[in-house]
Order: sequence, then structure tokens, then C-alpha cells
Amino acid sequence: MHSSIRPHQFVAVQLPSEQTRLVKLVPNTIVNLGKYGSFSANQVIGRPFYLTFEILDTPESDGYGLRIVSATELHAETLIEEAEADGEGDDAEAGDGTPLRTNREIVDDASTQRLTLEEIEELKKEASGAGKDIVAKLLESHSALDQKTAFSLAKYTLRKRKKYIRRFTILPLDVNLLVNYSLQERDAGRTMELRDEHIGLLGCLANVHHGGQVMTDPIPDVKPNGRYLVVDETGGLIVAAMAERMGILYPRDDEDLESEEQHSTNEGKEQTKEVGGAGSKPYRRIRPRPMSAAGNTITVVHAYSQPNLSLLKYFGYDTNNPDESHPLHTNLKTISWLQLVNPESDPILSAELPFMPAQELAELKPSKRTAYFFKRNRWERVKNVVNEAREGGFDGLVVATLLTPASIFKHLVPRLAGSAPVAMYSPTAEPLVELMDLYSTGRRTAFITKKRELTQNSSDNEEVDLSSLYDEFELDPTLLLAPTLHHSRVRAWQVLPGRTHPLMTGRGGAEGYLFHGVRVIPTADHIQAAGTFRKRRKVVTSTPTTDQDVEMAT
Amino acid sequence: MPSPFLTPGSTAGPDTVALLHLRRDQTIPTILRTFDDQNLGYKEGKVSNTRFGSFPHSTLIDQPWGSQIAASKVDTGSRGRRGPSKRKADELDTPGTTTGADDDTPSLSKPVAAGSGFLHLMYPTPESWTLSLPHRTQVVYTPDYSYILHRLRARAGGTVIEAGAGSGSFTHAAVRAVFNGYPQEQPANKKQRLGKVCSFEFHEQRAKAVRQEISDHGLNGLVEVTHRDVYEGGFLLGDPQTGQSPKANAIFLDLPAPWLALKHLVRKPASGAESPLDPNSAAYLCTFSPCLEQAEKTIRVMRQLSWLNISMVEVNHNRIDVKRERIGLDCEGIRGATVYPKTVEEAVVKLQEDDERAKRLRQAHYDGKTDDPKVQEDKTRSSKESAIPASTGPSYSQGRLIHRSEPELKTHTSYLVFAVLPRDWTEEDEQKCRQQWPSQKLDAPEPKGGKSRRQAKREAKEKCMEEIKAGENAQPTVEKVEEGNEA
Repeated sequence: MHSSIRPHQFVAVQLPSEQTRLVKLVPNTIVNLGKYGSFSANQVIGRPFYLTFEILDTPESDGYGLRIVSATELHAETLIEEAEADGEGDDAEAGDGTPLRTNREIVDDASTQRLTLEEIEELKKEASGAGKDIVAKLLESHSALDQKTAFSLAKYTLRKRKKYIRRFTILPLDVNLLVNYSLQERDAGRTMELRDEHIGLLGCLANVHHGGQVMTDPIPDVKPNGRYLVVDETGGLIVAAMAERMGILYPRDDEDLESEEQHSTNEGKEQTKEVGGAGSKPYRRIRPRPMSAAGNTITVVHAYSQPNLSLLKYFGYDTNNPDESHPLHTNLKTISWLQLVNPESDPILSAELPFMPAQELAELKPSKRTAYFFKRNRWERVKNVVNEAREGGFDGLVVATLLTPASIFKHLVPRLAGSAPVAMYSPTAEPLVELMDLYSTGRRTAFITKKRELTQNSSDNEEVDLSSLYDEFELDPTLLLAPTLHHSRVRAWQVLPGRTHPLMTGRGGAEGYLFHGVRVIPTADHIQAAGTFRKRRKVVTSTPTTDQDVEMAT
Repeated sequence: MPSPFLTPGSTAGPDTVALLHLRRDQTIPTILRTFDDQNLGYKEGKVSNTRFGSFPHSTLIDQPWGSQIAASKVDTGSRGRRGPSKRKADELDTPGTTTGADDDTPSLSKPVAAGSGFLHLMYPTPESWTLSLPHRTQVVYTPDYSYILHRLRARAGGTVIEAGAGSGSFTHAAVRAVFNGYPQEQPANKKQRLGKVCSFEFHEQRAKAVRQEISDHGLNGLVEVTHRDVYEGGFLLGDPQTGQSPKANAIFLDLPAPWLALKHLVRKPASGAESPLDPNSAAYLCTFSPCLEQAEKTIRVMRQLSWLNISMVEVNHNRIDVKRERIGLDCEGIRGATVYPKTVEEAVVKLQEDDERAKRLRQAHYDGKTDDPKVQEDKTRSSKESAIPASTGPSYSQGRLIHRSEPELKTHTSYLVFAVLPRDWTEEDEQKCRQQWPSQKLDAPEPKGGKSRRQAKREAKEKCMEEIKAGENAQPTVEKVEEGNEA
């Protein structure tokens, strides 16, 4: 999948300044890196990822203008330091007369750097060695260099190198990278300040994984595996992360060629099929129908008429101009809240075109016929997705949204299969705290009691009117088991010989919280909880409430 | 057999692992059986006994996952008197008579519902398994492994090496991450790379236990457990020297001295053996060490062995308790509430009331009317029936909603060190690549404003119609070719 750099693929270019740029590598073009220079796309296409290239001042004879920087060279300084430390031993600094260097004598002003601004500019123009010369010159002409401690020297070198050295590293563009890119380089609010730890935990808590091969001859009653419901207002980041876990995010490419054939037949599409006999006609490609896969699918519920999944373009899937060979074409389904909650009033669903026999079709004008197919197919597609979604039985629910959690859970939790997990991300705690309260033990007890009262009061055969129950309780607290609120945060460290410590600064902003629960199917009959904890109640002298009894049910 | 961890289906079939959920953080794993596999002598077949009642497996099997199941009345007493040890003795005394016949007759008695007690029947997930598994070593918990697997790019179809299988929590999470199909269902002629976990464990008993667990969980073929000391033996499958390479994309080392294992994780091992890494992709590595010294040593060796993008992090995770906090003088007798004035006004009213009561008592004392029932009442009663109005509404929505960390925190699990090793890239590869992608070839920049979108669409449509016409001539059935237009 990411074995080497492909043409027409989005990649991330990491610069010495730690900045990352997302670049689409089009063959035979130049990629410009601003002050760090530029390189030709052809000179990196086909090479492995994670290599660091240095831009040469004079290209090789065949025009190749880059040099691969080896790992040893990248680690050179640290390796030397480590080796020196080994030689000196630990007590080198303390004893034998050489005083410990401190920053006591250092006067911090511009005069210590003897090169003037003009001279540096001049150097930049003529310097060779991809900026290494400049860094060396700067170090040379720093008057107080010998006074610097090892720590400040390292910092100074690093700072200068970041500014002048002409190197770049090409990284594969995957979800991990996109998350960090969105968080640091772009408006983090657009992706709800999602971090790696949240994405990882969200996917695990929601048990999102590949649904396995689809049987070649599916048994009709067996439910397909790996169907997930997603509500995503991060521009497609959540969908991308879940699709990555399910193995449907990246376009199938040549190296997976052997597998492609199998995939396509399994997922209800066919490669090419000969139409008509006698070999008179060329092959006709039967296109895979969009949103047609039965298992291993993501169903996105969106609030506007079109979902915002723009970030998927980095993975070769553009919603406006879909690539039919991309797995998301068949395995990503979208449905609006209107279609899910109130399908009768949806403009597409309510406008069914009568089926037209082939003969009648043939008589139509071409443009009319196209319009017919367009509308008929759209209607069929939407109807299938809506029917499937309303029928429910999903294997998990992943939510990151601006909508009130309760309103989502009210509609989507009942559509999950038993034992299916629910995971929701929120940048702030408050929406999830409120949600937790809606599933509190006290509320559940009250709900069960009231429901029992209502059902007992009505006669056996009569349909019980539970509307008053749902007036009081926004959602059914008995449908989710063990609601839990999580908070996770990663702390990064700097590890250098003798200078290991957590990073001094980090990104603030939203903390990020996750809600997790599991869908259960409560029995219709009333069951008394066992384990009355009488003994404990005597010890706790405060008045017993029903809470204790029911706590075991959580 | 499909694994309930990966493809649980909709109901709990016999011989699958199920989790019996009793209450939060209290789950019992069990294998559902139609018969009494341990021969414990229950009339109902196999029974799971919990603190909330007994559950014969006949009441669990074929129920939809997630169902709430009521407890049954099970006679545990008379069975206990017989005792399994005595039973064994009986068997020895009369070989091949009674017991064999017992097992053959499946006429199990029907369970009778008990008055109270229930549990929820859940399919296992790596998360719930991590919380209920039998501890053999320190467990890698969900917050850590979820982040690790994400950073390791353990994806469907990949291969993960895990060293130090330990209690198997990471094993289960890793196999879920790489799963993309069961090997036995793979048609022989098609070669799709299937996800796999290669697990190494140097403790023989633990390795055995993991192997048994994997087979019980239907993960055979997806997880390969090897009993080996990887510091010495390396990571090849089968024979340490000549074995097959697992071709791993991701490696997780949960070892006391990961730096000793790193020498095997190189592109060209010095011993001349095959590299355990996938030659066609970058290899992602994570080590898991509780002490800083271990991490520092590991990173040093990583630098020497040319690993790149080395970074070290720790994961801080906590669960958050949400509850309602009630404060007020009207909360007396309510569990968990604090009886204390909630406002200055309440405090003032209370002070005035107390003062007046004290005055009345003093007066009564002077007057010598202490036996007066009114005075007695003043003496005993607290502020319960004070002028402060009790708040109304259901108790579950009273008080202020608060959240805070759970009482006991895991403040440190381990230091996670991540690194990546790019593919091997030789001069030969480079030359080949240069031929395919000539360094100097450049296209003229695309002229701006070529075909408009509309124009392109029209052309595509025309082409499409031609195709249809051609198709109709050959075959009258209309293929659904146009659907591409809808986009």
C-alpha cells in the first residue's frame, strides 16, 4: 500500500523547520519548497518513503539533483556525542580541573554573531552543500561559541540548521499524518481538534475492523459483517480513520493486483465482461454500482443534503468525481437525517420513476433516456441505502459531531445490533457529561419503574401507549450498558544523551473526551435485580434508595 | 470456525467464547457448551454460577448477542455433596459403566427461571477481553494499545510481530487490526495477503496458555505463537536460523531489554539469515518499557541501527466519573447529598430559625415547662421542617452535574518508543528508477482554462451514448451503463 512513492499520489513533504506540506506528485513537474529550494517530482517517484533527500547545488550528469541522506548522517551528532560520553565516562565533568561550563558569562546580544545580515544574505546566494556551509560559517563566526554549554550549543546549531539546510523528507500520507497536519498546520477546529490518541481509542472502543471476506455464495439469512454507522463533522477525518481500519481507504494499486480480482467479484462488481458473442463487440466494462457493498461498509449520516467528506480527496476519493475502482465507491454509503428519520418527505425518495421496459426506453430520445437512467438509478440507490439503514443491525456507531448527542443517540442507538459498541468524541467534556447523565443509574431506575407502571395499567392485548414515557425521558436509558467517559492524552519526550525530558511546550486547546457504551437488548419481562446487599446497607446508615439495587445492572 | 472476536454473527452459537457481563468492570468469560464439558454434574448441562444467580448455558445458546438473560434456579447443593473428586473415584471403581452412559444421554432438564438476577450476554472484543482476561503478566491496556496500533499502522492485511505475548491483550487487539479474512476460506488460486500476528513468548507455560486461548477463540491461522527467547533466536518462524520470514510491517516489543532484540530486526542480519521484515514496505517499531533507562538504551541502539523518526511518548488516560452533586439543607436523608446551606440566604434563614428555637427553649427552661410536647419537639427536631422549601422534580435530575477523574489513576504505564525503518534502497534500484522516471523530463505547465467542466461532461455523455447504441445492436438487454452519469 505504501511500499514506494507513486505518481499522482498525495504525499507529505517534511521540511527542516518541522513544517509539513501535502503535495500531489504529478510526473514531469517541479515541486517548489519555498526558501528550501525545489525538486523535480520524477526524482522522488518510485523511491521508498521516509527517505531524506538533500537538494544538490549541481545536479549529477544525468540531471539527478538530489542526494539521499543516510540515517547515520541524520543521527551523526547524537551518535558522536554518545561515543564521546562513553569515552569520557561519567565523572569527566566533575573532576580534573576543567570547570563545568555554565551560562554565567554569556551576554546575550546581537554582537556575538560577527557576520552581518548582508554577509549572511551573500552567503546564502553563493553557499553550496545544501546550507551546511552557512550553518558551519555561522557557528565559526560566533564569538561566544566556546562559552556555550553543550545544551545551548546544540540548541543553537539546531536552530540555524532548521533555517538554512536544504533537506526534505517524504512521508506517506495516511490518517496518522493527516491528523497531525490538521492539528498543527491547519485550522484545528475544522477537525474538532482530533488527536492521534483519540482516533486510535475511538476506533478500538467502537470495535471497528475489517468484516472479513464476503462468502462467495452468501447464505441469505446470515447478516453481513462489518457495517458501521458514522456521524462525522470533521470533514471526513473520522470516515478516513475508520475506513483505514477497515481496509477500504487506499485505492487498490498494482502490487495488490492478485487480490483485486477477488475483491471485485466478492463485492458485487465485475471487472470486464464480454458482451455478445462472435467477438464482434469490444469489451464493455460494467461499472460497480455506488454504495452497493453488503458488508464491510460505512454509512455516514449527514445533516445537510450533501455530506462534507472533503479530506477523502487526499486518499484518492473525491465525492464529486468518484473513482469507480476505489473501494469507498461501493463501501461508503451516505444518508441524510431526513432520509433516515422521515423518508416519506425526502425529495429523492418520494419521486419514484415508474419502471420502463427496455423497448419503451429504446424509443426515447437519448437525452431523455439518460435522464431516466440517472433518476431511476439515483432513486434505487437511495432507497436501498435507506431501507438498509432503517432496518438497522449495525455493528457499531462512531460519532464526532456538533449536534446534541442525545438527539443522535435517540435515532441511531436502536438501529445497532445487540452487543454493538457506541463511541463518541467531543472536544469538550460538557456534551458528553450531559449524555452520561441521561444514562445514569437513577434515571434508568425511574425509567424502568415508570415503564412497568404504564404496561401494568393497560390491559394485555392493548398496545401500550408509551408516549408519556418518552416525553419524560429523551432516550431509552436501558439500551446502553456501562456508559463510560474517557480522557486520553499523549505526552511527548525529548530523548538525547544526557538531556532527556518531556517537551517543554505543547499544543493546548480542546482536551478531547470519549464516550463509550454497548448496545443491549433488555428483556420484555421485568426482572428483579439480585444481590440486595443488605449487609452493606446496614453499615451505610444513610437512607437506602433504589440506586443500590439497580447498580448491578450497569 | 469464525471467531466471535472478529465476526460474531447475530446470535451466540455453541462452542464460542462469550462474555457474561454482570456489572461495570465485572465480566466472566466462558465457552458456551451444550453439554457439561467439565462434568460437574448439573442437571441442566453446563452452568455458569455468578454472584447474581446461576445461568445454565442452554438459556444462553442461540440468544441474540446483547440480550438480557434471567437467572435460573439451579440445584447447586446436591451436586456439591457428590463432589467432583468423589465422582472421579467412582469412575475408577466402576470403569466404563455409569459415567459413560451419563454423558451419552443429552436429556438435560429444562432450566426453571429464578425470581431475580440477570446478566447480559456479550460477544468478546479485545477491549472487554482485556478487562476480563486471566492475568499472567502486566497487561497492555486499551488506551496504550489503541495508540500503539494506530502509530504502527497495523492495518488490514498487514503482519505484526509481537514479542512478549504476556497475557494476550495486545495479541487480540493486533489480530483485529490486521484481520481481513480467514485463511481457510481463501481460494487456493488467489493470492491476497492476509493479516497475521506472529507472537513470541519465552516463558513456556505462558506460550502454551496463549496458544490454547488462540485456539479457543477461533483465531488459529491468524495468530502464530512461537515459544522462543527472541534476544537469542530472532523472529523467524519455525527454525530460528533457516525458518520462514514473517515479513512483518509492524513490530511491538514488550520485553525487559528490547535493545537486545533489535539486532535481529534489520534488513540484512549479520548472521546471514533472512530478515524478518517485509522487504517491500517500511517497518514500524514500538517498544514498551516502564523505565526511562530502558527507553534511553533502546533509543541508542535504534540510532545505531539506522531507525528513523524516533520518538518517545507516554499515554495518560483516565476514566471520568459523572454524578450529580446535591448540596442544600433540604437534602437530609438523601444518599450522597451534603447537608449544608446552598446559598447565603439559606444560611441566614437557618441561623434565624436556630436562634429563635434556642430562645424558645431558654424561655421554657425559665418557665419550667420543659415537659411541654411543643418544647420537646423543638429539642429533637433539626432543621428538617424548616421554612426552606424542598426542591421539586424527579430525584435523578436534581443537583449539579459534575465530572471528575475516577478515584484510582494509572499515572504511568510505560514509555512508548516509536521508530521507522525505510525499505532497503540499493544503487541498482535507484538506477532502475531513474530510467523509468527520467530526472530531467518536464512537461510544459498545463494551460489554464482548458476544457470547462461542462464541456467535458458533454463529451463524456456523447461517448457514452455511442457505446449504448453499439451495445444495443449486439444485445437488446439494456445494461446499466449510464449510472456513472449521475455523479
